[in-house]
Amino acid sequence: MWLTSKIKQILMVMKPGVVTLDYPNERPPVPANLRGQPVFDHQKCIGCGGCSDHCPARCILVRDVCQELRVMLYDGSRCTYCGRCADICPEKAITMSNSFEIACDQKEDITTRMELFMMTCQRCGRCYEMEKTNAIDRINLKGFRYDNLEQRALIRKTSETFDPALLKESDNYQRPSDKE
Amino acid sequence: MSKRKELEAKLIAHLRDDVVCVEKTDPRTIFIDVKRAGIREASKIITTAGARYLCSVGYDNIERDGTLGMIHTFALDDSDQFVCCRTSAPVGDPVIESITPDLPSAGWSEREVTDLLGLRFAGHPKPKKLVLADDWPDGIYPLRKDVPHNFVPKGAEDVAYELDEAPPGTKIVPVGPFHPSLHEPEHFAVYVDGETIKGCDYRGFMTHRGIEKLCTTQISYNEVPFIAERICGICGSVHATAFSQAVESAAGLVIPRRAEFIRTMMLEFERIHSNLLWLGVAGHLIGFDTVFMQAWRVREQIMWLCERLTGNRKTYGMILVGGVRRDITPEIADDIRRVMKNIEDDLTIIHRAIEKDTSIHKRTKGVGTITKQQALDWSLVGPVARARGVDIDARRDHPYAAYDEMKFEVPVLDSCDVWATLVIRVVETFEAIKIVRQCLDKMPGGEFFVEMKDKIPAQRHAITVVEAPRGESVHYVITGEDNRPERWRVRAPTFPNLQAVPLMLLDEQFGDFPIIMGSIDPCFSCTDRVAVVDLQTGQSSSITKAELDALSRRAQSPSHSLQTMLRG
Repeated sequence: MWLTSKIKQILMVMKPGVVTLDYPNERPPVPANLRGQPVFDHQKCIGCGGCSDHCPARCILVRDVCQELRVMLYDGSRCTYCGRCADICPEKAITMSNSFEIACDQKEDITTRMELFMMTCQRCGRCYEMEKTNAIDRINLKGFRYDNLEQRALIRKTSETFDPALLKESDNYQRPSDKE
Repeated sequence: MSKRKELEAKLIAHLRDDVVCVEKTDPRTIFIDVKRAGIREASKIITTAGARYLCSVGYDNIERDGTLGMIHTFALDDSDQFVCCRTSAPVGDPVIESITPDLPSAGWSEREVTDLLGLRFAGHPKPKKLVLADDWPDGIYPLRKDVPHNFVPKGAEDVAYELDEAPPGTKIVPVGPFHPSLHEPEHFAVYVDGETIKGCDYRGFMTHRGIEKLCTTQISYNEVPFIAERICGICGSVHATAFSQAVESAAGLVIPRRAEFIRTMMLEFERIHSNLLWLGVAGHLIGFDTVFMQAWRVREQIMWLCERLTGNRKTYGMILVGGVRRDITPEIADDIRRVMKNIEDDLTIIHRAIEKDTSIHKRTKGVGTITKQQALDWSLVGPVARARGVDIDARRDHPYAAYDEMKFEVPVLDSCDVWATLVIRVVETFEAIKIVRQCLDKMPGGEFFVEMKDKIPAQRHAITVVEAPRGESVHYVITGEDNRPERWRVRAPTFPNLQAVPLMLLDEQFGDFPIIMGSIDPCFSCTDRVAVVDLQTGQSSSITKAELDALSRRAQSPSHSLQTMLRG
């Protein structure tokens, strides 16, 4: 029994032979609908912040530095490439590209930063009627937002009108702690 | 008389006024509210009625009525029903009678609730810390609503977990936190007499990630499936499906039939790849690396298939509350059929080559034995239980997704050892291939996603089970206000199985430790401090947590790294 098993095992190994790919010299084709690095189109983006609100990794940050200027920052070092932002985006400004070889030394190399000039709505400051009909996909964080870009922290606090005090407060953001 | 009425009558006869109410809303789930004095008695009555213990869920209800809630959940496998026995204790006097003396597998659930919510259990046989770090400050319970999700407590030095006392005449062999034969970090203290194992204590949960807290404070319903997927690198779709089903059940959302078929297919893909992965790891653990290489070669095809289908090798991101994200096109269906055929052929060759191999038999037959009764007592799940003659499978007993239409066998063996587990997992892979083919043949057309028209109402409870490759996962959801669950409890299959490992190890040889441990296909992670040995003096020292923090912060300037530390 032992010997027949061993013969069968030799055949099992011989038949497929060597299957290891000679990567990176030989590159297998990338599937067409791979969820790779997300690419942001600043021409299309309206700065609604839907992607930021629905990012499971909370790695898309929104900061209103003044009434007219909104900074959007995508931190690729924490991204899980789920493609949720691309699903949510009402303007299709985010596409999941097929680039996946994105290991790098500097965090900045996989960071996307967009500075958007925002018109002010006379009625409410910042308002978006999201095209989303799904009740559980609505935007929770409406109005002006003050995430801390240095610490890459999403802060769940918004205001209807631009509030310099909140902006200042978010500068000093620290994780709650009972450390001295 | 229905099971529900029978249970209600029994409970009222024994407990009288302690029974507050028996909910009749959901035909599949029986919610029973009892006063805390009657909880142990109630759980006894429910288990004598033939229910199998699943897990316990604690939740914070302080804002609403100043209490901490506790739910013991059970499954009635014959009638496809769940029993959730709820009780509560005021936050000022948070003590409930423990059910662990009757149901040993409730031990960890109760210890977890004590750690995370501060609810204590009178009469618990081992009321030690389980989930929280050793230096976590007393009196801060992270799952309570008043503790922020990103709270960083002050660390403490020189606090260590007190291991159980070694039985007389035995020596302690530490296995872990990092050990070459185990693929994830965890810490076992194994008590040995010569080569024979006489007991063991486990300390894990050291990289407890707080996913449940994160998902109940930060993100909304439809993002949770993506985080749920990352609970486990192997059975991601299982957790995403279980969560989505629980929310759908709480919200009363009916998803399209096509979505259910696609979910079923994703779950079966996962079973195929997981079983092949486990077969390889089992081979590797007993020193048979040919099996490891070949099983993983076959497995690679399904990884590529899933990449073409979902856009990723693992963490498919296919499942959302309300359906699935991508459809199965006719082209991809042909692709699936072709890959299934290849895998079936290759696996048959592997199966024939190893089924009669005496070296595998010698390493796995009669190893890790526990009796059927013990498996029932510790409520083992999955292939580990089925290898001990316990005939349970959530896919058949509590059909979800499209499993009610699928025809498949549930292999059950009674040799009670690691070999039986191995055979069951190989047979289940063939069954999974059969299910995928049935899915493709019977798949109805139509939509694959449905939207929620209205907000999901708060304070609804729902429980679901999903059969993961390594056993059954239980998810309990309480819906909340801000478009996110208020409480979400995940019980992975390793949770009950790992509790029975000391029993499996008892009186076994120490050399069989890796394969016995591996046979439950454990899924855990933890971390510990680093020991540094100075080669020149031969002295060993431990790096403290503060030093380790400092080290990792300086890692970007390599010249300052470990050497400086050692010279200093």
